[in-house]
Amino acid sequence: MPDELATYAENTWCAGCGNFAILNAMKDVVGKLEERGVGKERVVMTAGIGCHAKIFDYLALSGFYSLHGRSMATAQGIKLANPDLKVVGFCGDGDAFAEGIAHMMYAAKRNSDITIVVHDNGVYALTTGQRGPTSAHGFKGPSTPRGNTEDPFNPLVLMLEAGATFVARGYVVMVGELTDLIVAGMMHEGFSFIQVLQPSVTFTNRYAEYNEMVERLEKPASTLDEALALARETDRLPAGIFYQTEKPSNERALYGDWNPVTNHPPRAKRLAKVKELIG
Amino acid sequence: MSRDRFTYIVGGKAGEGIKKAGSSAANFFASMGRHVFQMDDYPSLIRGGHNFVAVTTATREITSHFMKADLVVGLDKRSHETHRDHVAEGGVVVYNSDVVESGQGIGVAMSTEAQKYPNPGLRIGVSGAAALSAVIGLSADEMAAFITREYKRDLENNIPFATDIYRAVAEKAGGKFPLGDGDRERAMMTGNQAIALGVAAAGLDVYLAYPMTPATTILHYLAAHDQELGVVTMQPESEIAVINIALGSAAAGARTAVGTSGGGFALMEEAISLAGMAEVPILAILSARSGPSTGVPTYTEQGDLRFALSPGHGEFARIVASPGTVREAYGLAAELLELAWRFQSPAVLLTEKHLSESRMTLDLDVEDAAWAEPAMHDGGGYKRYADMEDGVSPLLFPPSDELIQWTSYEHDELGITTEDAAAIARMHDKRQRKTETVLEHLRTMKTVNRFGQGKATIFTYGSTTMSVLEALRVSDIEATVVQPVYLKPFPVWELEEYRDANPIVIEQSAAGQFESLLAEKARIDAGAHIRRYDGRPFEPEELAREIERVAQ
Repeated sequence: MPDELATYAENTWCAGCGNFAILNAMKDVVGKLEERGVGKERVVMTAGIGCHAKIFDYLALSGFYSLHGRSMATAQGIKLANPDLKVVGFCGDGDAFAEGIAHMMYAAKRNSDITIVVHDNGVYALTTGQRGPTSAHGFKGPSTPRGNTEDPFNPLVLMLEAGATFVARGYVVMVGELTDLIVAGMMHEGFSFIQVLQPSVTFTNRYAEYNEMVERLEKPASTLDEALALARETDRLPAGIFYQTEKPSNERALYGDWNPVTNHPPRAKRLAKVKELIG
Repeated sequence: MSRDRFTYIVGGKAGEGIKKAGSSAANFFASMGRHVFQMDDYPSLIRGGHNFVAVTTATREITSHFMKADLVVGLDKRSHETHRDHVAEGGVVVYNSDVVESGQGIGVAMSTEAQKYPNPGLRIGVSGAAALSAVIGLSADEMAAFITREYKRDLENNIPFATDIYRAVAEKAGGKFPLGDGDRERAMMTGNQAIALGVAAAGLDVYLAYPMTPATTILHYLAAHDQELGVVTMQPESEIAVINIALGSAAAGARTAVGTSGGGFALMEEAISLAGMAEVPILAILSARSGPSTGVPTYTEQGDLRFALSPGHGEFARIVASPGTVREAYGLAAELLELAWRFQSPAVLLTEKHLSESRMTLDLDVEDAAWAEPAMHDGGGYKRYADMEDGVSPLLFPPSDELIQWTSYEHDELGITTEDAAAIARMHDKRQRKTETVLEHLRTMKTVNRFGQGKATIFTYGSTTMSVLEALRVSDIEATVVQPVYLKPFPVWELEEYRDANPIVIEQSAAGQFESLLAEKARIDAGAHIRRYDGRPFEPEELAREIERVAQ
């Protein structure tokens, strides 16, 4: 059976790159969403710029290949315009927590009903290996030859503090679990954040380390404090849903059941309203 | 003494109700069927400082305030000192004798009177309406009706307070300037209201903005009327967020606009370039203030012209136009949203604080607005960047079984990233053809306004047009005024006849950006120029004298 979600674009990820697993997971996600009544035609993606973003060319879904650090802003715009769409935004760690960190914090704060998948490889791979916002202290790259002088961000803690209503961590080696996490995130109404541990085989090949440290998290924390404690663990890396809570999404809070695209008025109706306002 | 044109200046500290004193007078004049122009001058602060409003009214069309007033009301010492010389010959000055020792004109103990009522600090602004009512010869009952209509609240205190002030002024100058009724009552609005209504009339679905003077009141107006109009408004975390959310919104099919001033527009530029590459229809409203940088936030200037003409890096079609009057702002805002959608390109409505925040009466035909309706894909395999002859690829929005991919990368017709030499050149060619298509379309539109007929030729644009037209009305100067409304593409085909006109170029720029643009694009060399760049709009009588001086 031909792969309906493939495109003719030549794949240029390194052999063994964790991004392949995310691409494969996404193809399964589309099928599982269909089983839940969300047809492929309603699934829309965005991507930032970097190795992660090439997924946009390899996945036959509609969407917007955005700018570095703006994937989550573009995704919010699509959702704002047409809340009937299911929007998933792919970001690198540089997109999400350097160039676009303000957009991430605010997307979580306002609980925009989008799902952000961060391909966290701890490095700027496409620009040849500079340190990123989640690189360890001491990380050596071409821009930090004597080692990174900054400590890394903890993405899960940031997103929990900012108000994300669905926070999860996946690992590219656990593709089945990753698929389920993305499906759960996309079915969640509100801002869903999924950090994906995605080693770069060329720059940050941490497969052996992650295989040791990653542990399946069986159930979400019942309180935010518990989730924060889990997120701060450093001797092991729990993978699963850390926290999930209910809160009105940004779109619902702004305009209830309105839909800017499908409720676009006929001209006569709009002009009548303008006339009323002028008096 | 009766005169048709009447100007009222009221000044005081921020927080004393100065804007209200000015706008209530403007409303009253408009209710008489008169034409009105109201200019608010205020510093960038919430309390203290010095605010004033100049309101000019006439029974004929009027497009500027004047700074020689028939009635000057100063609520504090600084206002009296600043504006007592702004009184016209035979005019009336009213000042607060509680804070001014030896004033010139009619001293009224406004603070002492206000102390008799609760919240004296807030009440003092009502003195303006009282003094105005006395000077234009309203009866005490008519004044009470005026205050009731305009102030609505706390009337049991406002009316007795106003009556005290009214009596004191009426004793010395009651009925000095009776005003005749005009022909009919007109709508009155600020430029920003006209822009907001114009984009709404063109079918706007979503408006996004981060607060920045002088564009902010577009957001305020649309947010206040969002549910009535069916326009969703939102204030994201930055101008960068604003424009990127806006592009996502437009790519999902919502007619979307953003608004800001120079600094915010600078932050948006990366995404304006994205709109060029991804071919996203977007309207950006850029309301300029005195710059560069933070500049003088609440004052006017035309220093952003060149900046507005080429936002974003790279080569793509840009459409930029600037309205000359509040009336024109309505139709132009609609037209630019329509053009953005017709050509899937960024369009910029360039204006200035003087138009954005000045308020005037106008004859508005609501129907006189374009409706943004894009060419949609109609069946068959969809390609977002189909290589059409005119460079414009049809649109399609999700949900759809077709693949719809918008992208910031160079791409093939489907929207897949490419680095292939032939494919890169082909897409550049497509975008260039679209740029040509825009130009051809503009040739079919009205892109330049001409006013009057005379030996002298005056070139101006944007809000300065209002000042120039008023300067000509109040003088004997006979001139042809040429106002390019569209600035990119620059309508050179309309301007060939002025090649040797050696016009007077009038603009609010120190560097003469408009003058150099005329020379560069239309090969029209200025014979003389008049520039103002102190943050204040031109004053018509002063400007008329300047025109007379340089025209000789």
